[in-house]
Amino acid sequence: MFHSRREFIKRIAHAIGAAAFMEGFHRLGWASAFLQQESNDYRALVSIFLYGGNDGNNTIIPAETAEYQAYASVRGTLAIPQSDLLPITPSSMSLRFGLHPSLRDIHDLWSERRLAVLCNVGTLVEPITRDQYLRGAQRPDSLFSHSDQQAQWQASISDQPSRTGWAGRLADRLGANEQFPILISVAGSSLFATGAQARPLALVPGSSFGLRGFGTSPTERTRLEALRQLLRVDTEMELVRKASELTEQAIANSQLLNQALSNAAPLQTQFPSTSLGRQLQQVAKIIAARGSLGARRQIFFCSLGGFDTHNNQLPTQASLLTQLGQAMRAFYAATVELGVATSVTTFTLSDFGRTFKPAAGGGTDHAWGSHHFIMGGAVRGGDFYGRYPTLAIGGPDDASNEGRWIPNVAVDQYGATLALWFGLPTSELTSVFPNIGRFSTPNLGFL
Amino acid sequence: MARSKLAKFVISLAVWHLVLLAFRGEVCAATGPILLTEVNSTRAIALDVVTWRRDPFPLVQPIRFGTDERTRIMLFAMGLELLPDEDARAVAADAQDGTGRIYALKVEDVRPVPKFEWMKAITIRLPDEMGEVGDVLVRIYIHGEASNRVRVAIGRVGGGPPDDPGARPNPAPPSPPAPTPTPTPPTYAGPASRADAIRLLEQATWGPTPALIERVQRIGIRAFLEEQFNAPISTYPDLPAVPPTPPQDASPDYIRDNYTLFPLQVRFFQNALNGQDQLRQRVSFALSQIFVVSGVEISQSHAMSPYLQMLQRNAFGNFRQLLRDVTLSPAMGRYLDMVNNDKPDPRRGISPNENYARELLQLFTIGVHRLNPDGTLQLDANGRPIPTYDQETIEELARVFTGWTYAPLPGAPMQKHNPRNFLAPMVPYDSNHDKDAKTLFGNIVLPAGQSAEKDLDDALDIIFNHPNVGPFIAQRLIQHLVTSNPSPAYVRRVAAVFDNNGAGVRGDLRAVVAAILLDPEARGDVKNAPDYGHLREPVRLILNVLRAFNATSDGTGLAEQSAQMGQRLFYAPSVFNYYPPDYQVPGTKLLGPEFGIQTTATTFARINFVNSIVYGRIAPPSNAPPGSTGAQIDLAPWQALADDPQRLINALDDLLLHGTMSPQMRAVITQAVTSIPASQPLQRAQAAVYLVLSSSQYQVQK
Repeated sequence: MFHSRREFIKRIAHAIGAAAFMEGFHRLGWASAFLQQESNDYRALVSIFLYGGNDGNNTIIPAETAEYQAYASVRGTLAIPQSDLLPITPSSMSLRFGLHPSLRDIHDLWSERRLAVLCNVGTLVEPITRDQYLRGAQRPDSLFSHSDQQAQWQASISDQPSRTGWAGRLADRLGANEQFPILISVAGSSLFATGAQARPLALVPGSSFGLRGFGTSPTERTRLEALRQLLRVDTEMELVRKASELTEQAIANSQLLNQALSNAAPLQTQFPSTSLGRQLQQVAKIIAARGSLGARRQIFFCSLGGFDTHNNQLPTQASLLTQLGQAMRAFYAATVELGVATSVTTFTLSDFGRTFKPAAGGGTDHAWGSHHFIMGGAVRGGDFYGRYPTLAIGGPDDASNEGRWIPNVAVDQYGATLALWFGLPTSELTSVFPNIGRFSTPNLGFL
Repeated sequence: MARSKLAKFVISLAVWHLVLLAFRGEVCAATGPILLTEVNSTRAIALDVVTWRRDPFPLVQPIRFGTDERTRIMLFAMGLELLPDEDARAVAADAQDGTGRIYALKVEDVRPVPKFEWMKAITIRLPDEMGEVGDVLVRIYIHGEASNRVRVAIGRVGGGPPDDPGARPNPAPPSPPAPTPTPTPPTYAGPASRADAIRLLEQATWGPTPALIERVQRIGIRAFLEEQFNAPISTYPDLPAVPPTPPQDASPDYIRDNYTLFPLQVRFFQNALNGQDQLRQRVSFALSQIFVVSGVEISQSHAMSPYLQMLQRNAFGNFRQLLRDVTLSPAMGRYLDMVNNDKPDPRRGISPNENYARELLQLFTIGVHRLNPDGTLQLDANGRPIPTYDQETIEELARVFTGWTYAPLPGAPMQKHNPRNFLAPMVPYDSNHDKDAKTLFGNIVLPAGQSAEKDLDDALDIIFNHPNVGPFIAQRLIQHLVTSNPSPAYVRRVAAVFDNNGAGVRGDLRAVVAAILLDPEARGDVKNAPDYGHLREPVRLILNVLRAFNATSDGTGLAEQSAQMGQRLFYAPSVFNYYPPDYQVPGTKLLGPEFGIQTTATTFARINFVNSIVYGRIAPPSNAPPGSTGAQIDLAPWQALADDPQRLINALDDLLLHGTMSPQMRAVITQAVTSIPASQPLQRAQAAVYLVLSSSQYQVQK
């Protein structure tokens, strides 16, 4: 891609005269955006984990009359009114759908084709039909359990416990020679960003990152040196060693990061002052500092909790999706401001979807497949990927009689598509996604 | 069985080798087991169990004696005493090669050498992933105590890691040592050693203080626990009910005190710093991290306070009663949606809410996989874990938990859905209870027509009697109180007490807590097994520091510190607690639940807390009531020792590390302290205290 871009520029420059071309290029303000990407070959994946299990059934809703009525008849009081839906029509389909009304901030990104939807994706051991499921074919371990399904979504391995996440393994492959960790979490620790070797740098958005109390006096410097020496002794106790390694990693990287952040030009884009807004703002600031960090590849982990809507779902989900949409919109604007819109891909993950059939208390229970967003300048947006399920209790996509959709696309394929775009060679795909060969294609085409 | 015969055979013939090879010299004093070596080196007395040859050992055997062809080697140890109920599984071993790589070794057999009963022969299987790496250093460990490391050649001699600092030969003694006492579990009835007293106080209280150390040493561990079981219970305030949302004109102070858990956080720290019921508080805090109700949803202090009070009340009670009180707690009812859980409504297409049913099984009682009595996973014929329940059981159990609502407010009529009331347990409303039959775990039937209360009690009985509960709860409480990676034998001993307290009672938590703290794996002066210990969770780190240094504190400002370290007290992010009990420390095979919140950000927060408390104070938050003081420690006694850095460091080693500071750590701290002139005793004391408290050696408590 970058090759062809470079060639494209060269050819045009040749055709119209290099100097004239470049002058026009700069005057139009494209230069920094266009050339920086070229020289840096920069790419970033930004994950947003929606903890608790977002209800995909009320996130992407059928809008055609017959389909909407089928939806509303089961959803009852949980149904989003048809007139409130934000219309979307996938470019490869002739059916109308609607976004949850609280997602208005990213609605225009759909029209601009910067936003795609991956339908009914979830954890799978291998492709499985309703018949196979009911006959007891192998399914992911501990379906419907938060902790296990979060882990499997993050690991992209559903038939055994994993000590690493897919982003961690991706970093093991592509980040080993980077001077600064390519995994960065603004939302605490996660299996997702844990590799066999790679460890994430975690920071708290907006907080200072470093040791306090050390100035330049000789005794302070001696004490700091002693602190660091202590991190290197008594390593035969494993937990002591691991605690020390983490502290050493933090100290070693804090100076570089703080310097890079203070050198970067301040962001003009305004972010909402919400938890996710602050996280994505921090991510944008680090991307802005990527030059001083020498970063060519970065993977960020963000999260938003509270999606376990067993009760009172309508207001809860509305408020969470508002936060999600506002923060995503601001972040996309920031990537445009930084000239990296086509180099940054943002995507959502979540424990599972929720039962189509409501539960007592005005909410829904744990289910399986769900719909997810992929956003960015490189995304082939305005379209659905995967297959939207048949919203019928006991229907062909239902694992039970409560509306628990059997995924038709695996988390493995979702991750593999992102990883291939990120630069993972096809030949190394199975080292990051060991079960990818069980599925029809590793590349779902949304990038 | 073939292997056990083989072992006997080899041992009897091998003894002569040993006599010739190793019977000379002195044995150095140590608490853990001692692996025997040659007279003049750290090379182990080790034999191939098939050929009886010495090392270097081949990786595989031409003749297949066991289930596989991998080589087994035999090492010999002194001071290795199994408890009556223990076998080889209680002993762990590892090996390190010249590249630093560590291999876990499987110990297959441990038995006394005939006629040399004080000596044990240990059969170890060489691991599949090990190549012909040359010399490795091997150690064994049991009850948290590690042996010396001895040299064993794999494939070829040489190329291994250097000997450990201070390592020396440990040949067998010239004459047999005095017979060891019968290895029954000690009673800990008499006076305690200083180191073990300090260790007990780390496990059973919010941190050792000089007065408590002296007391435990004097009256002994068992008597101290007895005192703790009977200490007066610290309380949480009885707060009046407030409406679901604050009145329009509510002041910030009113909101802080009624619509946040601020007053409970402050009381928690006050109780921990001053309350006599230290052990009860530790156990009830552990229970609050198993039976999680989070302030993220239950944010009104008057709603949470009775729940914390209930955990305090049940900490030494029976687990069955605890289950009932948790289940009927309105705070839990609201948090996990059991309150106002309606029976199925086919007309409206609504199913009972599964939330409480699922988390009760998964997180509070039995977990998702079947366990052996020692807490390890049961496996099926294909080597896969076996689920304890399926989705159908969850749906059936969700129907059991229908028909409960808040207790009616005084004078109000009983309704299907009563208005919120967090001050009394939930009550049944039978016509909203699903009275159809329910089948749990595939074959246990609750008959049709039972009341809400009868169904609930029957279901709780069934769950309470599930064989997973003992090992499940034992493992979690051990992790909170003692160590993150208890041996299966330790879990089994505690689970057995859960199953039967000795008087035929199941679920006696007081007996369980005593069993945890009086176990040989918990007790002892030095625990140096590489997998031992646990990271101090943030609130405990804070409290341990404050108590060790005689702090003045009104309880304010501390929750804010803890939150920065990843533990926002009483506001766990979800029912999965601040960190998961099965969190695996990246890059190891070890569990470390508290490492689940240990990141590059929170490790800074922990060290920066130490900086604040040592070089300044912890300020109350800006919204605290006027006159709040925050917290400050007293370094005067330490300053008084500062003219003699060794005395200062020895005293810190004693109080904070029960005397386990390594020579390397001591050298580093000594140098930093002596670089400060003796004319600045406070600065010297501060530097020493800062360096010990911020060290991983202290942060991971052993």
